[in-house]
Amino acid sequence: MCIVRLDNVRKDYQLGKITLQALKGINLIVEAGEFLAIAGPSGSGKTTALNLIGCIDKPTAGQVHIDSMETSGLSSDQLADIRAHKLSFIFQNFNLLPVLTALENVEYPLLHRRLAPLQKRQMAEAALESVGLANFGGHRPLELSGGQQQRVAIARAIVASPLLVLADEPTANLDRATGEEILNLMKKINSEKKTTFIFSTHDQKIIDKANRVVWLADGAIV
Amino acid sequence: MITLKIAIRNIFRHKTRTIITLSTIVFGCVALITAGGFFEDIFYKMRESYIKAHTGHIQIYQRGYLEKGRVEPYAYLIENPGEIIALAQGVKGIRFVTPRLQFSGLISTGENTISFLGMGVNPEHEKTTQALAQDLRKSTDNLTLGGVIVTSGQAITSGDTYSVMLGKGLAAAIGAKTGDSLVLLTNTVNGSVNALDVDVKGTFYTSSQAYDDHFLRLPLATAQKLLATDAVQSLVVMLDRTEDTARVKRELAQIFDAKGLNLELRSWKEISEYYAQTVKLFNRFFLIIKIVVIIIVILSIFNTMNMAVFERISEIGTIMALGTKRRGVLNLFMYEGIALGLLGGIIGVAAGIIVTAIVSRIGITMPPPPGTTMFWLSEPKVVPSMLVLAFVVSLFTAVVSSLYPAYRASRLEIADALRHK
Repeated sequence: MCIVRLDNVRKDYQLGKITLQALKGINLIVEAGEFLAIAGPSGSGKTTALNLIGCIDKPTAGQVHIDSMETSGLSSDQLADIRAHKLSFIFQNFNLLPVLTALENVEYPLLHRRLAPLQKRQMAEAALESVGLANFGGHRPLELSGGQQQRVAIARAIVASPLLVLADEPTANLDRATGEEILNLMKKINSEKKTTFIFSTHDQKIIDKANRVVWLADGAIV
Repeated sequence: MITLKIAIRNIFRHKTRTIITLSTIVFGCVALITAGGFFEDIFYKMRESYIKAHTGHIQIYQRGYLEKGRVEPYAYLIENPGEIIALAQGVKGIRFVTPRLQFSGLISTGENTISFLGMGVNPEHEKTTQALAQDLRKSTDNLTLGGVIVTSGQAITSGDTYSVMLGKGLAAAIGAKTGDSLVLLTNTVNGSVNALDVDVKGTFYTSSQAYDDHFLRLPLATAQKLLATDAVQSLVVMLDRTEDTARVKRELAQIFDAKGLNLELRSWKEISEYYAQTVKLFNRFFLIIKIVVIIIVILSIFNTMNMAVFERISEIGTIMALGTKRRGVLNLFMYEGIALGLLGGIIGVAAGIIVTAIVSRIGITMPPPPGTTMFWLSEPKVVPSMLVLAFVVSLFTAVVSSLYPAYRASRLEIADALRHK
């Protein structure tokens, strides 16, 4: 089943009088259950592609389909609904909310779900346990290591069982060993729960772990 | 729930900044509550001293006196004061009803002669108290509660048939002092001339310099003798509580109408134009204080919220990426502003009560108000309506000053916000 389809997607950025073409009309289909790497050097358009798939940016031209729904005509609230119910994110800088504990961070995406508070709490605990941090629920992000923070971010990404998890350079701020651990964890979730992952990277060791690799260079798939 | 939790925790994220912002709100509340209490104390003391010394709470006249009494002062006298007093005594809240007889004439020491206004009063009712000049609080209390205070000599009593008390200014004008003999010269109600030798038993002071410069007080019986009448000019109703004035006035009017008495009534508020004008003037000053305080508090909260938005751009991007709508982001920052306002308001009201109570206990020495000559002690009051106002202002300013920062946060582009370092 195709869950992401990009049709001739272009993205331009206006920098003063200069128009920068970040993506020059790319086509891509992602099937459910894939563990896909978008690889390429810095500035190749990886983050832009992930942002468009993640409905946090709109293409200049072309169409982005998420779960067979064309997203370019949707309002900001409708896009927020798609993000809340179908997608989730793992960021390079972990992006946990510093005022919330690990468990509360994991629970945050469930804010948009109509579930009993107790059920939300149990789901968050289960997600935290699945990333091996069952005992760290009460810790604030600053009390955790980078690797632990990214695990919390992964738990947050999977807690609501999204259709697709988007990870933008998830290992870039971690040492090699921890980065590998994180990727193995993502891979494990992918194979056990069949959650689809799309992640961007320029690290060959990480790229090697992907089921499929899409190479980007200068805003085009090569 | 989680949005509220985030909002509240964010407030305590930068403790120093939050303390500074809260201090501004608290300072604003204290300023409003203390200033409001200060003005209320002025209004209270001015009103009460005026009521006690001059107007009473309600004045009863023969119908027509207020319109034509200046021209024909003795054509509208109350001939049956005893009957009216007996009728009025039945109304709840009245402390006493006392007759007055006002007249004008010439006063002479033998060397100096000037005009005066005389007021015949019942000394048992219209008591005067000795002011303790060294104790400002005591003399302020005497002025507030007694209205007329003795500055030299002693107060007149009903038995003092041939004694008067002179206003401080009047005594100075003719160079009379306690113990001096004077001659009062006036017309009786029938127009013939009458004179009386009197002794100065003391001098008095009230909160109105104009009154003290022109008036003398003497027992009603003496005034009646001088004017050759048994009638009185007005009946002054003194209540236990000033707040009851409107009700008592209404009830008295009903009783007098039912009895077919041809009387008219005036409340202290209708008589004291000076008081109404002062209240109006001071309320305008207070309005300016309120506006200044509101602007300071708004700018302070605005600054805090704006910085909070700027520092948390990346976080805003994150929660929006996680599915929070623009409205949710707006709510988050509004909650923070409101929580700041609530917290500041609660602490501010408590601090306002404490500071006002302390200032009141210490007292502020005030120069004589316009038209008076005596220093007095200000004891700001804790006014419930001012507490409500301070709290509402805190909350209102918090909402107003959070609006723009919250709106700005909610309009951020997610991709840009996530890139923000």
